[in-house]
Amino acid sequence: MRYAYLLLFTTFMFASCLDESPKSSLDDQQVYTSAKDVYLNTVANLYNYIGGDADSQGLQGTYKGVYDYNTFTTDEAMIPIRGGDWYDGGFWENLYLHRWKADDAALYETWKYLYKVVVFSNEALSTIDKYKHLLTEDQYKHYQAEARAVRSLYYFYLMDMFGNIPLATTVNENVQNNDQKSRPEVYKFIVKELQETEPLLPEGHSNQEGIYYGRVTRSVANFLLAKLMLNAEVYSDSDWTDNQQPDGSQIIFNIDGQQLNAWQACKVYCDKVTADGFNLSADYLNNFTVHNETSMENIFVIPMDKLIYRNQFQYLFRSRHYAHGGAVGTSSENGACATVSTVRTFGYGSSNVDKRYAYNFYSDTVRVDGKIVRLENGDPLIYHPLAAEINLTNSPYIKTAGARMAKYEVDRNAYNDGKSPDNDIVLFRYADVLLMKAEAEVRNGESGDVEMNKVRSRSGMGNKSATLDNILSERLMELMWEGWRRNDLIRFGRFHQSYDQRTAPQSEADRHTIVFPIPSRILELNKNMKQNKGYKTTTPDFN
Amino acid sequence: MIGRNIISKALLCSLFLIVSAGSVSAQNRHKRYQKTPKQPIFQVKDTLPVIGSMAKLGEKQMNKGLVNSALSAMSGRVVGVNVVAGGQDRMAMLASVRVRGTTSLTGGNDPLVIIDGVSSDLSTLSTIYPADIESFTILKNASETSKYGSRGASGVIVVKTKRGGGGAFQIAYDGTIGFEKVSKRLQMLNAKEYIQAAKALGLVYNDQGFDTDFQKEITQTGFVNNHHVAFSGGNEKSNYRASLGYMRGETVIKDKNYSNFTAKLDISQLAFDEKLKIDFGVFGASQKDDKLYNSQMLFYSSAAMNPTLSFNKVGDGWQRNSNSSQIAAPAPLLLERNDEQNLSFNTHLQLSLQLSHDLQLSALGSYSYASTENARFAPTWVWAQGMAYRGENKSEDLLGNISLNWKRQWNIHRIEATALAEYQQNKRSAFWTEVKGLANNAFGYNNLAAGVARPYGGTGSNYTSSSLSSVMLTATYTLLDRYTVNLTTRADGSSMVGDDHTWGFFPSVSATWDMKKERFLRDVKAISLLDLRMGYGRSGNLGAISSYLTMKQFMPVGVVSYNGSPTVTLGTLRNSNPDLRWETRSTFNIGTDLGLFNNRLLLTAEYYYSKTTGMLYEYDVPVPTFAFDKLLANIGSMSNSGFELGIGLVPISRKDMELNINVNMSWQKNKLLSLSGNYRGREMTAPTITNREMNGAGFHGGDNHILYQIVGQPLGVFYLPHCKGIVDNGHGHYKYDIADLNNDGVIDLSDHGDRYIAGQATPKMTLGSNISFRYKDFDISLQMNGAFGHKVFNGTTLSYLNMSNFPDYNVLKEAPGRNIVDQNVTDYWLESGNYLNFDYLTIGWNTPIKNKYITALRFSFNINNLATITSYSGLTPMVNSYVFDSTMGIDDKRTYFPYRTYSIGVSIKF
Repeated sequence: MRYAYLLLFTTFMFASCLDESPKSSLDDQQVYTSAKDVYLNTVANLYNYIGGDADSQGLQGTYKGVYDYNTFTTDEAMIPIRGGDWYDGGFWENLYLHRWKADDAALYETWKYLYKVVVFSNEALSTIDKYKHLLTEDQYKHYQAEARAVRSLYYFYLMDMFGNIPLATTVNENVQNNDQKSRPEVYKFIVKELQETEPLLPEGHSNQEGIYYGRVTRSVANFLLAKLMLNAEVYSDSDWTDNQQPDGSQIIFNIDGQQLNAWQACKVYCDKVTADGFNLSADYLNNFTVHNETSMENIFVIPMDKLIYRNQFQYLFRSRHYAHGGAVGTSSENGACATVSTVRTFGYGSSNVDKRYAYNFYSDTVRVDGKIVRLENGDPLIYHPLAAEINLTNSPYIKTAGARMAKYEVDRNAYNDGKSPDNDIVLFRYADVLLMKAEAEVRNGESGDVEMNKVRSRSGMGNKSATLDNILSERLMELMWEGWRRNDLIRFGRFHQSYDQRTAPQSEADRHTIVFPIPSRILELNKNMKQNKGYKTTTPDFN
Repeated sequence: MIGRNIISKALLCSLFLIVSAGSVSAQNRHKRYQKTPKQPIFQVKDTLPVIGSMAKLGEKQMNKGLVNSALSAMSGRVVGVNVVAGGQDRMAMLASVRVRGTTSLTGGNDPLVIIDGVSSDLSTLSTIYPADIESFTILKNASETSKYGSRGASGVIVVKTKRGGGGAFQIAYDGTIGFEKVSKRLQMLNAKEYIQAAKALGLVYNDQGFDTDFQKEITQTGFVNNHHVAFSGGNEKSNYRASLGYMRGETVIKDKNYSNFTAKLDISQLAFDEKLKIDFGVFGASQKDDKLYNSQMLFYSSAAMNPTLSFNKVGDGWQRNSNSSQIAAPAPLLLERNDEQNLSFNTHLQLSLQLSHDLQLSALGSYSYASTENARFAPTWVWAQGMAYRGENKSEDLLGNISLNWKRQWNIHRIEATALAEYQQNKRSAFWTEVKGLANNAFGYNNLAAGVARPYGGTGSNYTSSSLSSVMLTATYTLLDRYTVNLTTRADGSSMVGDDHTWGFFPSVSATWDMKKERFLRDVKAISLLDLRMGYGRSGNLGAISSYLTMKQFMPVGVVSYNGSPTVTLGTLRNSNPDLRWETRSTFNIGTDLGLFNNRLLLTAEYYYSKTTGMLYEYDVPVPTFAFDKLLANIGSMSNSGFELGIGLVPISRKDMELNINVNMSWQKNKLLSLSGNYRGREMTAPTITNREMNGAGFHGGDNHILYQIVGQPLGVFYLPHCKGIVDNGHGHYKYDIADLNNDGVIDLSDHGDRYIAGQATPKMTLGSNISFRYKDFDISLQMNGAFGHKVFNGTTLSYLNMSNFPDYNVLKEAPGRNIVDQNVTDYWLESGNYLNFDYLTIGWNTPIKNKYITALRFSFNINNLATITSYSGLTPMVNSYVFDSTMGIDDKRTYFPYRTYSIGVSIKF
């Protein structure tokens, strides 16, 4: 019998050592031990997600994310089907033709990316609360403000893309607490959050290396507020399919004790950015060089350094022809190009071509280091801007149609096939502030000529009168490849209309496409959610 | 953590104390140690089929011919066991085994391997030289696997290695040499046809004047070379066996080789008046394997490259079509390295002490160490700036157990009981580093200092440790030598599950009725064997869980600028679930064995039904509330049922002549019962598609999904648009005419659109058969395997017929004629996967040479992969049809060339 006791004893011994503690990961007690730890692993950690290296991750730089949904859905640019290349199950064609669906995987990925940062921001806020005892009152206030401002930035993109969305503001595991709010409610929330936190944010230039590099500073918040004001008519509209829209001059905001309409409010925030010391660079292209950290014009960027950050910028790689990629010592995928209507806006093919055409595009015969780039058979590589169409399968210019993306200086030492250059990716830029102000003025019945012509003259272009049409064209030419076109077209009421070579279907007349559908997976998982108007949500039927 | 160390040390000490205490007390009793071999229920000739629920595969039943790994010795020989040919690299090809199909969605589908009493895994088993194995015993029913508790859910392979026999000194040599030839390639256009086709279609093409068959250029005649020496000796009380094995192969792909060197030593000693038996074993292996860096890239490139280009360098570089960005010049692709070196060391010591006539105490301790070093290199010709990588994964496993075995027989009763307590700890650690910007390709991965940069994220390390403690009780009662009942229960405690779910209980019950011993059959001459068995039991599975998933873990996320300097921040990388618990599988089985005419005809049949509940899977959770969309949790369920039939026939059995025919067949049915539920008030479901789509030009994203997991269906079904036929597309080309299945007037290829369930990826029935014939000293053996009732998606042909990529990408010879400009995924290229493969044919001669030194001498000639009978139009239907991963059921430009091996073997015993 004593052997049985022995066995029992051994079992007891064994059972007592089932506790394993990790060594290559930490628990939160180990992570948060000082004020610096709290800042780094809450607020600073959020900045890891501004850029990305995988599809749908990052605000810009990667494929099938926020940028692509704001660019290839418009008349600015397209990724044509080039025979077997870029068919990708119709993905790019569907973007251009506004045939996206609630169950598009990339849309769901984009949603998840944006909300991931929202949830992390909420976690950061709760952690800052939990470890308040490690912080001074001042630190506590500033950390909280910065985390809330980052969250507002992400809510801006979510509200802009998806309309009616859940407003999660605390760490809570209960789905029911994250009810869907109407677009105007979310809009009000973002404005309020930014207005409250703006005075507590750091003041420096976020695009410049140093203490404020890559952070959401006061100017970043003011830029966003200006954007939010300029789009007030769109964002305060609770039903965008009813053919009625609020009037911006009747939408009133309280700013520093003053009652201002949306256009006046926009101007105030534009002026605040100006007051922070931003200015147009003498040379347009200085903002996009390999070492563009010294720009006085860039307001908010994704910091890039091939050795340090994982963020990628895949757009030059995606656009240029294979032979062109080879000539600069990297690879390429021969995809994205400008639409015909875009190059026409720049005056391509006429005697009066805008100077910025050459800044933004590779066009016609391609030269690298002064030498003509040649194809395998010895022919020179010639891009044909006017041959661009969404399906090039039967075109003689299948591989060479379309003007290609230039803008950013090519980093010859970039890693990952040229996808990891050192140029910081420009998200917010001062030229946009001037154009926003010009537009707000015009919409408010004033003249916006001064601001618009400031932008034009920097690139050596003559004065033009700032009509709304001219401003929209000016925004296309100035902000080409910067991810704002969808936002602009919606504000100008053009997004749902026919443009370039796209004929808008009758079904789009109700403007339902100005927001994307809520991803169907989200609706399946959160039964409280409703699909945006005009979109069908089909449930899979496997019978 | 210090506390834990003390505990584990105390534990080890206590183990030794117990063992020594046992041996001291044993000295006082003068009873002889008794061997207690497990009595099988019946014994049949070992050349007969592997039957019964505890299928034991002896040396004579293992595969002959050229056998490169322990697992291939078993392939096709046991009903219900599928050795999965991944069709990729040589050694990895045997990485997966499925016992009665897939039972879990996430992991833990590989059976547990027990080598000489020590729990191990398939990769360790694959390092053992086949000639060192005495037997495999495959446990499939829960009543047998529940002894192994939480790890037995996917079956158990018990491996017994050879030991010294206690006879005179013996030495034996086995050797095989042979060569391998590619037996099938894709028929792509040659240079002349390529130019003709491009001209005829009026396409601009690039003619560099060569005529290259790139598929031929990347292949070669392979060479295999296996040697094994074993010697043993000793006497009744102490004996040993030692062996050395070496195998080396050059594969049919140029510059890709593998080798394995093994050494093994086992010693047995009886001591203290033969009451104590000591078994000591040590085993080491050093494996090298040059894997393909990216098999799809290599095979895709060699098939689709413009045939007018040169394979070899022209000037200072390789030619390629720059327009074909998805493929690269094949020659530099062969220079990419993905080399793996595996070093393993395993040792165990078992002490068995006969305490009294009916009581035996055993203690087993084992230690295993394995290191896998991975070295990768991508030259600057393939990757801009180049890349070199070194990484090492180490594992250390410690196991200790103590068991008491008691048995007694009186009158018509026999009872045997075992109690066991076990503890094991598994430590895993790894580190890796990657450099970019190579100064000179000639360094390969051998001097990482030649890389200028180590980008963040390319270097890291980790460490995990998990422990499992168990207690097991099993009792078998036999009445009248014919009615047997077994009860087993095992409790497992794991450090990896949630705090409230540490312990899992796995009971089982089984009964056997040996009917031949009954009076009414005793005199029936024709029936030589008849029994009936039945069992029910539960087993557990934690394969999907890794350490610490129940905790919120903070890890380095990336680098941000903090106060002007780059700083690493910490955060979480996945949702944690503190509620993780055991996945359980309940199995019911009923079976019978029948032997007729002195076992000249043997039949075995078994039906089983199993249900997996609390199935671990990465379920979808809503974002927000969660930061990440996946949460590993226990909610789904899945069932497996099947029928297994084994037939063994000996039509001729004479002194000079013998014919054996063995056939085993198994029908399997898998069904996903549920993938959604409410977990702690959260709604969770699993996605229906899990990223199974095509790769290559024009296939990135969109509606290219092929394989789905759908509730109510078997795991892995093809859910595809229906192609009505091939029609003119209006531009003079042809396209797949897709049916509007839901009759809404719109062709919608999305997941919720015009699709239907078009078939399953796993075979409904598998077949293994062996025919062997002996005439005097000559013998011949033929092994066949087959699989039926499943489909394979022929994505390779879909891609290589698509003229929209031509002439940037080369196409099949028939493609210009068919002129299809379409690459939509439809059921047009979903083909039947049925096949019957002639695995090998062996002809042997046991020479009559016997003299003072040589006791046996045998020569054999073998052909492996003789032929395949199939209607499948691609290279081979033997793609991955069993393992539910991204390649399952989809033949997508990555299939390894089928090859045939011719070899001769010599065995000498002295």
